[in-house]
Amino acid sequence: MNKKEILKLAKGFRGRAKNCIRIARERVEKALQYSYRDRRNKKRDMRSLWIQRINAGTRQHGVNYGNFMHGLIKENIQLNRKVLSEISMHEPYSFKALVDISRSAFPGNKNVVLPTRKVNVSSINV
Amino acid sequence: MAAQAAASTFNGNLKKALAGLRRINLDGLRWRVFDAKGQVLGRLASQISTVIQGKDKPTYAPNRDDGDMCVVINAKDVCVTGRKLTDKVYYWHTGYIGHLKERTLKDQMAKDPTEVIRKAVLRMLPRNKLRDDRDRKLRIFADSEHPFGDRPLEPYVMPPRKVREMRPRARRALIRAQKKAEEQEQGGNQRKGRREGKTEVAA
Repeated sequence: MNKKEILKLAKGFRGRAKNCIRIARERVEKALQYSYRDRRNKKRDMRSLWIQRINAGTRQHGVNYGNFMHGLIKENIQLNRKVLSEISMHEPYSFKALVDISRSAFPGNKNVVLPTRKVNVSSINV
Repeated sequence: MAAQAAASTFNGNLKKALAGLRRINLDGLRWRVFDAKGQVLGRLASQISTVIQGKDKPTYAPNRDDGDMCVVINAKDVCVTGRKLTDKVYYWHTGYIGHLKERTLKDQMAKDPTEVIRKAVLRMLPRNKLRDDRDRKLRIFADSEHPFGDRPLEPYVMPPRKVREMRPRARRALIRAQKKAEEQEQGGNQRKGRREGKTEVAA
């Protein structure tokens, strides 16, 4: 009854946890707890992955993620991050068009380059 | 292969350079060349680690290793700021009690300059199961010779450095130092003027 269900849920576990009911019961409880927690975590992780992909795609065109999203918001483009990451992966030309729209709406900050006092290692060794 | 044998005027350990290339599956990967000459150590290592993880591609996936092959040349010409040349110490423990060993950056560069960059990059990668595979993708050479000349190489252009604004106190100190330097120059000029005047008077 209950034992059968638990052992069915314990398929694929390591060691005695898939065979012996006492160990399997603990592991299955833990597995169900993890799955409850991770159904909520999965939404966070996926969003984070989309943001990383969008960041990579925009940096190829010289704009970082923050400025890109700010530009999109200013132009009232309401594409969500999931769709934007798919576009950046599979439709590069459309994505470039989006990056250009964003850049015209909100130009990013300019980078200032100042020389620092660096110590050249090889000169000291030799 | 014949081209590689010809291009081995590279006298370093060819075996170590070509080691484990068979294990790296995909060759849809690019070969990026980083020139470490005049680059600051940590900033260069940060860029290398992003390329090695594959985080500059929009097809990044955290569960598979999709980074490009990175070749670093001129590793002995990498720079550090401040007093790190003498003060940066690498520690490691051998496992025996009391045997905490240390070595300064200067000695490490004398022993093996490629280890400096390798340690820096390796410690910037995430500590997961892909770390060793990523290490295999990184090839570092102390001078500018490398046996990968026949592959399609792409040089990596470092992004321009973003320097943050100076804090007000530091900025005031800098202005004071500049003013002092100017006054010293003016004082020198005045003294020269006075000496000329005196000689004229004497004559």
